[in-house]
Parts: sequence; C-alpha cells; structure tokens
Amino acid sequence: MSAKLTLFTIIGSSLLLLLVLDLVRRRYLKERYALLWIVTGSLFLLLSIRTDLLHWIASLLGFLLPSNALFVLGFVFFLLIILALSVITSRLSEKNRTLTQEVVLLKKRVTDLEKSHEAGSPPGEKKD
Amino acid sequence: MGSPMKTLIIIPAFNEEGTLRDVILNIRAFHAQADILVVNDGSTDETGNIAREEGVLILDHPYNMGIGATVQTGFLYALTNDYEIAVQIDGDGQHPPEFVSSLLEPISGGRSNLVIGSRFLSEGGFKSTFLRKLGINYFVTLIWIFTGRRITDPTSGFRSMDRKGIALFAEDYPSDYPEVEALILAHKRGLLFEEVPVRMGHRQGGVSSIGLLSAIYYMVKVTLSISIGFFRGSKG
Repeated sequence: MSAKLTLFTIIGSSLLLLLVLDLVRRRYLKERYALLWIVTGSLFLLLSIRTDLLHWIASLLGFLLPSNALFVLGFVFFLLIILALSVITSRLSEKNRTLTQEVVLLKKRVTDLEKSHEAGSPPGEKKD
Repeated sequence: MGSPMKTLIIIPAFNEEGTLRDVILNIRAFHAQADILVVNDGSTDETGNIAREEGVLILDHPYNMGIGATVQTGFLYALTNDYEIAVQIDGDGQHPPEFVSSLLEPISGGRSNLVIGSRFLSEGGFKSTFLRKLGINYFVTLIWIFTGRRITDPTSGFRSMDRKGIALFAEDYPSDYPEVEALILAHKRGLLFEEVPVRMGHRQGGVSSIGLLSAIYYMVKVTLSISIGFFRGSKG
C-alpha cells in the first residue's frame, strides 16, 4: 500500500473512531450500538498502521493488492452493521406494535370506566 | 344449548366511510345480540365518527398500523373481555352479514376452532380476474404443501373463531397480508379449521388494497414467511 493511501486510511479511520466516541459522549449513540462501529473503526485503523498484518491477511485470502483486502474487510463490517440495524429495526417495530395496541386497549378501558363513573355507579364513593 | 355464546364481531376499518354504516346496520339486522367492534386503523375520513354515531364499540389506532395489527387489536380486545367467539368481517361491504351464522355454526357446534368463509365453495362461485385466481391458486397449493389440506379461499378475511383461535391470534398474528400465514399458524398449533361457503360481493366502496407490485410482494413475503416459519419451533 502506498504511503499516501496509508496516511489517508489512518486519518479516515481515526476520524470515524473519534466521531463515534463523541456521539457516545454526547449520548446521541448508545454504547450498545456503538460497539460494532468501534470494532470496525479500530480494525481499520490497526490494519492501516500495521501494514505487515494487512499484507499477511491479503496473501492469506489471495488479494493481489493489500489495499483491496482492507476495503473488502471494511465493506464486510459495514454489511454486518447494516444487518444488525435491520434486526434492531424489526425488533423495535414489533415492540412498537405491541405497545400501541396496549395503549389502545387501555384508553378504551379508561373511557369505559369514566363513563360508568359518570353514570353514577362508581366503584368507590364520590367525593363531595 | 344454554345461553347464546358471547360473540364479538370485529370490523377492521381503514377509511371506510362510504360503507361502514351499512355494514354495521346489516350486522345488527342479522345478529342483534352480538357486540360489534370497529377497529379504526388511523382513518383520515369519517370512519371513526360513523362508528361512534352508531354506538358500536370502537378502538382507535393512533396511526395506520396495517391490517394484521388491526385485526389483532380486535382479538386482544376479545381475549381480555372474555368473548367466546370472534368474527372478523371487512368494513368495505364485500362480506354479507347474513353468512355470519354459517360461520358461527361449526364453532358453537364445537367442530372447529376456526372457520373460513369461502367464496369459491358456493355454487356459482365468484367471478374473479385471471391474475387474482392465479394468485389464490398459488396460496392454495402452498397451504396444501404445508398442511396437506385443501383450502379453497385462503385469502378470505371473513372468519370466525373460538377462544382457542382468539388466544392464538391475540398472541401471534402476522402484520401484513396475514390471512394465509394465519392458517398455517393455526395448523401448526393443532387448531381445527374448516371452510363454509359464503357469497361475496364486490367491494362497494374504497379501493382494492392490492395492485400488481403488492401482489408480487404478497406472494414472496408469504412464501418466505411460511417456509422459514416451518423451521421455527412453536413459540411458548
């Protein structure tokens, strides 16, 4: 990998890491969801600095250019992050549905209770 | 038999202001004792007000949640209020309420947990477009593969069920295009189900919820869901 490109990926992954950490610090991003980003950014940074590791991985997987190995690895991690987000979205939409239905049923119960209360058949005694 | 079974007729409704009142009046004419519940799925028209004017039970979704969640809200209400039978009928007027009694008979007779009103069992049948027939045949085959049963009208949303059916669907009901999957689910949980012939009109108002792209999505989604669901152990 050329020195220029190495410098570029080091700066790029450092910025990504700093951004993620800052988002966590400002509570825009939960630790739980930041984890995959931190792992990805750190790996990218590690492989940018330790080019010998990168060369080893590239020859192991049969990449002619080490930089290609770096980008493919990055790509795979981003895919994993996106997949994780889809899982999280699915879970949230399921919870959202259950929650909304619960609220709808509770609202109905409250209205019914209010009505029976006004009709003068209160469960307890009326004040004043 | 003793007192009539406590029955809830569930009408899922999304923007059905043109037909809802007639549907309610028709149900009342045939089934005076049953409670009627409109589940208003975030309609932007007069649907909610019409239901209120008619004095039926009403649950309002704060936003549009889709047919599956809407029907399920009805099942949840039936479950928490101890109904013995729930009937599901469309708000667009294509399910004639005079057939509700044929849907109820196998349930009150204790023969089935779930009854599907089929427009294809009745004599004369139902005139349908070629594409729709193709789609329905696809689901018929799919259900046959997974259950060994021949259900002639698997997409019919005109159904009734007993407590067992209510409890199952209150707990687990697919969110979009739920009808076919619900049958597989019922089969997996060992519910007894059968079809009875009904006549269906063409919708009196509203627009069909299914265009060509949605039809393709419908088939792919249901196929995926059923095939994957086959490898899923029964929950709970």
